[in-house]
Amino acid sequence: MNVPEGTLLKSRVVERPRDPLAVALDRSLTGYAVFEPQEALLLDAGGCGIITFRDGVPELAYYTGTDRGGPRALADLAMPGPYHVELYRLARAELASIGEHDGLAIPPGMAAERLAGDPALASSTRRAAPAARRTDATDGETDDERADAEPGAVEAFLADEEKIDAIKTQARTEAQRRAEEWGFE
Amino acid sequence: MVEAFAVASGKGGTGKTTSTLALGMALSEEHDVTVVDADMGMANMLFHAGLSDVETTLHDVLTADAPVAAATYDRFDMTVVPCGTSLDDFRDADPTRLREVVAQLAADTDVLLLDSAAALDSRSAVLPIVLADRVIVVLQPTIPALSDALKVQEYATSYDTGVAGLLFNKVHDDDAIDEIATKTEQYFDGSTLSTVPDSEAAREARRAGRPLLAHAPSSPPAESFRQAAARIDVRNRGSEAVADRFRSAVVPDSP
Repeated sequence: MNVPEGTLLKSRVVERPRDPLAVALDRSLTGYAVFEPQEALLLDAGGCGIITFRDGVPELAYYTGTDRGGPRALADLAMPGPYHVELYRLARAELASIGEHDGLAIPPGMAAERLAGDPALASSTRRAAPAARRTDATDGETDDERADAEPGAVEAFLADEEKIDAIKTQARTEAQRRAEEWGFE
Repeated sequence: MVEAFAVASGKGGTGKTTSTLALGMALSEEHDVTVVDADMGMANMLFHAGLSDVETTLHDVLTADAPVAAATYDRFDMTVVPCGTSLDDFRDADPTRLREVVAQLAADTDVLLLDSAAALDSRSAVLPIVLADRVIVVLQPTIPALSDALKVQEYATSYDTGVAGLLFNKVHDDDAIDEIATKTEQYFDGSTLSTVPDSEAAREARRAGRPLLAHAPSSPPAESFRQAAARIDVRNRGSEAVADRFRSAVVPDSP
């Protein structure tokens, strides 16, 4: 996935991936976000995630560390956080130059629903999506419904045993360190 | 004869308080149940249980040496211990006193349910998980909720607290929940207690200030919570032994 260099709007560290998705929607961003997970234990997997937006609504997702796109890229991107996030604006023509990538497309609400775990933000995002993306003209299914027929982001996350082991190891280390800090034996 | 459960999720918005009261009401058909709002920074059980006007809450017990009995209320066939919402009270509260409060409550009940904080970021938030015998993990089929649920389990087991099971809450029809629940169980020590459908009934109950099982007892989510409660096998233990356990719990006396 080749993304033209955009105009940097924001660069910050966030605990949750929800915030940049909400900012993109609020600003009707046309451009992209680069998510770089900061978790040292998980950096072996390496890489960063890119989500493109048109008028605030996510269109494509790609994760460099695994070279996977679409819902699977959202699963790859799911880390305990924090993330370093950069938001970039692109001209419409530049966004169009990325082209059509079937393997990279995500339904409008999926990042908010499955990555950020925020059904309200997912609903707002779906409402902001153009009708063509909300409802398939041929069979009446929504993008999100169609995505459920394929392995979704949650299923891909649960299939990644290595990452889940890393999350558990990190939590145990944190729990033990804090037990000392807080005076639990 | 008591077992203490922390109802925990690691993430806000999963419906922990609704779940705590629903499980409490379902378990009260066979056991003496006490539910405690141990989410001291974001207390809301009093709104769910129609107790928003009461004078004495857990905060008063933890800040002003009010007796525990003054903060217990018999409602919906349970003993309910709500917590106040004043941030000043929260700042003044000594969370380590919770250990003694739990020990006292444990002496008079079969089942203690501790509604826990939505985060694992402070000692008072983690304390209910430390004090409980087992955690009931409330989660939704989303990546952040699963990730936080894994953290709850690892914190619990690090502190010798077991896992009673997983409660998938606010589940939508299109969530492919059976497949997700099966895959999720591989990573947890407990199995799925129930999958509770997302429902307007739970929101209506909250607005009415009544627990879901009192407000809409035959609704689909109420049925699911009853099923979850039936799958929790409460372990019989000597109440004195349990009270001793809390008194000698690994919590220091000063913050």
